[in-house]
Amino acid sequence: MKYLVAAFLTLTVFSLNAQDFNKHLATARASYSSKKLDDARFAMQQMLQELDIMAGKDILKLLPVKFDALSANIANDNVMSNSGFAGIMIQRDYGAGEKTAEIQIIGNSPLMASVNAILSLPFGNSSGNQKVIKLEGYKALFQKHIDQESNKVSYEIQIPLNASLLSFKANGLTEDTVLKLAATIPVGQLASMIQ
Amino acid sequence: MSKLKKLIPCILAASLLGTSAHAQGLLNKMKQKAADAAEKALDKKTDELLNGKKKNDANGNTREGNQEVNGNIAGTSYGNSGANTSSNSPRNKGGAGLVTTPPDVKENLSTAESAYKTASYGEARQALQQAILGVEMEIGQNLLKSMPDNILGLPKQTEKDKVVSSGWGFTGLTIHREYMEEDKQLSMTIANNAIMMNAINMFLTNGAFAQTAGGDQNWKQTKLKGNRAIIQFDQSSGYKLSVPLGQSTLIVFEGVNFANEQEVMQAAEQFNVDAIKKTLGEK
Repeated sequence: MKYLVAAFLTLTVFSLNAQDFNKHLATARASYSSKKLDDARFAMQQMLQELDIMAGKDILKLLPVKFDALSANIANDNVMSNSGFAGIMIQRDYGAGEKTAEIQIIGNSPLMASVNAILSLPFGNSSGNQKVIKLEGYKALFQKHIDQESNKVSYEIQIPLNASLLSFKANGLTEDTVLKLAATIPVGQLASMIQ
Repeated sequence: MSKLKKLIPCILAASLLGTSAHAQGLLNKMKQKAADAAEKALDKKTDELLNGKKKNDANGNTREGNQEVNGNIAGTSYGNSGANTSSNSPRNKGGAGLVTTPPDVKENLSTAESAYKTASYGEARQALQQAILGVEMEIGQNLLKSMPDNILGLPKQTEKDKVVSSGWGFTGLTIHREYMEEDKQLSMTIANNAIMMNAINMFLTNGAFAQTAGGDQNWKQTKLKGNRAIIQFDQSSGYKLSVPLGQSTLIVFEGVNFANEQEVMQAAEQFNVDAIKKTLGEK
């Protein structure tokens, strides 16, 4: 019974979103036809935000619900449309306490240029705290951070995917564990979904 | 020049044949022929390029420049690769250029709708961005058409008109127009809907440019048709009048070789600021 209710609610939400998109589409068309160009532009930007939210929810479905012992905190799932700035932002976190992980995908991230620059260096792009790795054939920047005050170690993997940046951060885990968990992220599928 | 094109590959091939005396002698003859052909072709090209301008280069002698180029070309006969060989690449002389008409808004909206229905959100997004681009280009073109053809005797420079839009809000819409006569110029730039505009407008209007009494100050607060503005002066670049409009638009007028600030203000007042605000949806 509860599955039926969940399915009904999901369909309701989806149809509401579709109505919003269609409503903004109708406004955009009417405004454009009556030469109210600024109104048409605003309606289209609203449509972009709706699209980002829909796309973000689909992308969340692809992300793992568990990383070994770390379960996803589904209630914290976040999809934000920043169509006016950095595109879409999708976030999911895992675990609690000392051992946590987080996946973040930002469309048109301002960090893209710097990450791509490091990844494109032909030689000597490995240092004590940074190296280039591959996940499903995609180059990624693997970094180790040590907190100056607490000496706690955390890891971060950044993968440019088209015009988006996927970041995987982990606290309280070993390097080998982080690499093993990162290998379970469906990078290829995400790349094809993210524009 | 065609002779040169035939000779240069031969020279390169010859350079790889080895260093026997026979090959060297052949190489020297081919090098000399290539250098002669190149010199004639380059003399002709250089004259065409420099026609009407000063013929002297930094060394005061174009002949020296030709010789230097000749030297480079001669150098290629020894098989030097890299930058020297790029001087022998063909120069583009034709092509129809790029079609720069704005995207079709209605068509892109239909594409976005179809893609949305099939859950192809990436395609829908791309089509929507094209539609927004089309609308913004149209807004920009309409604004430019509504602007005066002349400002205080300065005619508009139509070839400098620019409408720039990326199709999404980060960089916004930029519209640019210039008026010029001899060394006197007024340029006008409208920045609309860019993400930083709100912050910039607040910065300009909320006391950041405080006025001082006495001492050097190259800016002051003013008003343009009832809109708060900042006017600045710099000896090397002239006057700059910045007018924040509404929540997300900024107009910047730059006057070069204007007599005084009154003249700049008079020029800026020729623009229908209210119409600009209305077109861009500002209050």
